[in-house]
Amino acid sequence: MNMRADIPLLAFRDVWKTYGAGEAQVHALAGVDLSIRQGEFVAIMGPSGSGKSTSMNIIGCLDTPTRGVYDFLGVDAGALDRSRRAMLRNRYIGFVFQGYNLLPRTTAAENVELPLVYRGVAARERRALAMEALAQVGLEGRESHTPAELSGGQQQRVAIARAIVTRPTLLVADEPTGNLDTARTHEIMDLLTNLNVANGLTIVMVTHEADVAEYAERTISFLDGKIASDTARLEAA
Amino acid sequence: MLFETIRLALRSVRRNALRSFLTLLGIVIGVAAVIAMITIGSGTTEKVKQDIAKLGSNLLTVYSLRPMRGGDTNFTPRALNERDMEGLLDGLGDVRAISATSQQTSRVVYGANNLAAQVTGADTDFFIARDWDVVSGRTFTESEVRGGGNVCLVGQTVRTTFFGDGDPADAAIRVGRMSCRIIGVLEPKGTSGFGQDQDNVVVMPISTFQRRIAGDRDIGQILIAVNDGVSTAEVTEEVKAILRQTRRIAPDQEDNFDVRDMTQVADAMTSTTTVMTGMLGALAGVSLLVGGIGIMNIMLVSVTERTREIGIRLAIGAHEKHILVQFLVEATVLSLLGGLIGIVLGLSLAGLATATLSIPFVPSMSVILLAVGFSGLIGMVFGFFPALRGARLDPIDALRHE
Repeated sequence: MNMRADIPLLAFRDVWKTYGAGEAQVHALAGVDLSIRQGEFVAIMGPSGSGKSTSMNIIGCLDTPTRGVYDFLGVDAGALDRSRRAMLRNRYIGFVFQGYNLLPRTTAAENVELPLVYRGVAARERRALAMEALAQVGLEGRESHTPAELSGGQQQRVAIARAIVTRPTLLVADEPTGNLDTARTHEIMDLLTNLNVANGLTIVMVTHEADVAEYAERTISFLDGKIASDTARLEAA
Repeated sequence: MLFETIRLALRSVRRNALRSFLTLLGIVIGVAAVIAMITIGSGTTEKVKQDIAKLGSNLLTVYSLRPMRGGDTNFTPRALNERDMEGLLDGLGDVRAISATSQQTSRVVYGANNLAAQVTGADTDFFIARDWDVVSGRTFTESEVRGGGNVCLVGQTVRTTFFGDGDPADAAIRVGRMSCRIIGVLEPKGTSGFGQDQDNVVVMPISTFQRRIAGDRDIGQILIAVNDGVSTAEVTEEVKAILRQTRRIAPDQEDNFDVRDMTQVADAMTSTTTVMTGMLGALAGVSLLVGGIGIMNIMLVSVTERTREIGIRLAIGAHEKHILVQFLVEATVLSLLGGLIGIVLGLSLAGLATATLSIPFVPSMSVILLAVGFSGLIGMVFGFFPALRGARLDPIDALRHE
């Protein structure tokens, strides 16, 4: 445990997310309270429809709560408008998706540069930062390959490089290993763990695989829009 | 950032080369049609102007009126004559030229060849009034005009018919029942705006014409060339006043002559062709509009197709305006590209058409700029709705889109 772990990064206070109206009303989240500190590696689990994806979307500032407060870096992020949330995402959050979500027919380097383009970073600096991020995920020499020329594991590494190139505070990963075989899964998870330990990057990861969740130091399980359990991993030795 | 976006747009255009090309085609055809139509139209206007200038600019033509059949006319018809001519020579102020002329179509014979040519009786001022020079030989002398010498000048058509490329100087041709010696060849004038070959002429002194061809002392027309900067309308009034005197027209009688002002004819004809050009251009403009709708259609397809891409961009921090600008720029680049190709195509078509119709090729910079501007505008206007649709997408939905 380092010093950073004591600073709260984000918090849900009685967060509700409701879809539909009247009889057809569905509560995706029904009064959730949770707090994640800087430097934590949290796995979110639960069956489909339990509210794990909804909470991840809110954590990633892609969505807003219907009721309650989502506090991100001391800001009521749930109350911000679209463009302010876009700014928060660009400045502080990196995303890794199950389907990699790289731009097709675009080189690895260009994909990694993309968040920097929206930040208005100059081309030369962008390229340097992208190369650095690609090196960090072990993809030196692959910068000019397009996604179609890369394996699934490599594509996910490019996606991770794109997520960390802006040096975010929080990495949100949605089933990052869902499309990968076991060997590739462990490689990617080792990479994420390393980013968490070495760089102090806070990671919130949604998964439904128990062995993937094992990599996290804390696991939050959702059921029917509520937190069913919130357990810290027992440190071996 | 904008440069980056334009680069991105160009890349997207290149990646969907065939689709981009088909979309462009609408704009290409529209812009090409507008430019070709307006360039050909302006060429026609220019041609009319040149033709009228060939007849002599600032030229007034005086001719006698004949009573219209069945018409109720209040004048006594009478041909122009020597006295009218003298009255004008004495009475008119400073004009460039006053020329008495008469014309008649006659058979002209040389050796075994003959042709029907416009035979014109003229004086020395005729060549000034019509702004018509000789390419070889000379025009008449004053004494030839007064004395009725058997000399004549021929136009290019007459010359080539009879002599080919040879020199016709001093050759004797038969005009009607008289023989005359060629003293000069007139420079080519081409076809008039009214479709008449102006080079199929034989010009002889008016006195010779009157005696040997027409058989009377009448004058067909009096040509008056007004000095530059002088109002033809004012001179027309003067001419009318003088002629009413010389022709002894009672105050209660109408003029038995008329004065035709070439500048008015020119204005009437050019305004006709200008209106025609405008109408053709507007019609072509409709096809530009259709091209614009093509752009909108394809941009909507593009936004739908790239919903996931938009989702990714939004997730990693693109603002609404980034997405909006991206698609707007793409639409604008697409239509501007079409505009540029359209200009090249339109100018080529116009060049081909003007060469075929032998009218001047007058490309107008303002029309070209307008076409480029308009095609860019069409891209923006018709690209805006699809771009806005893309920008307003919810990132979560967009990311889920397959």
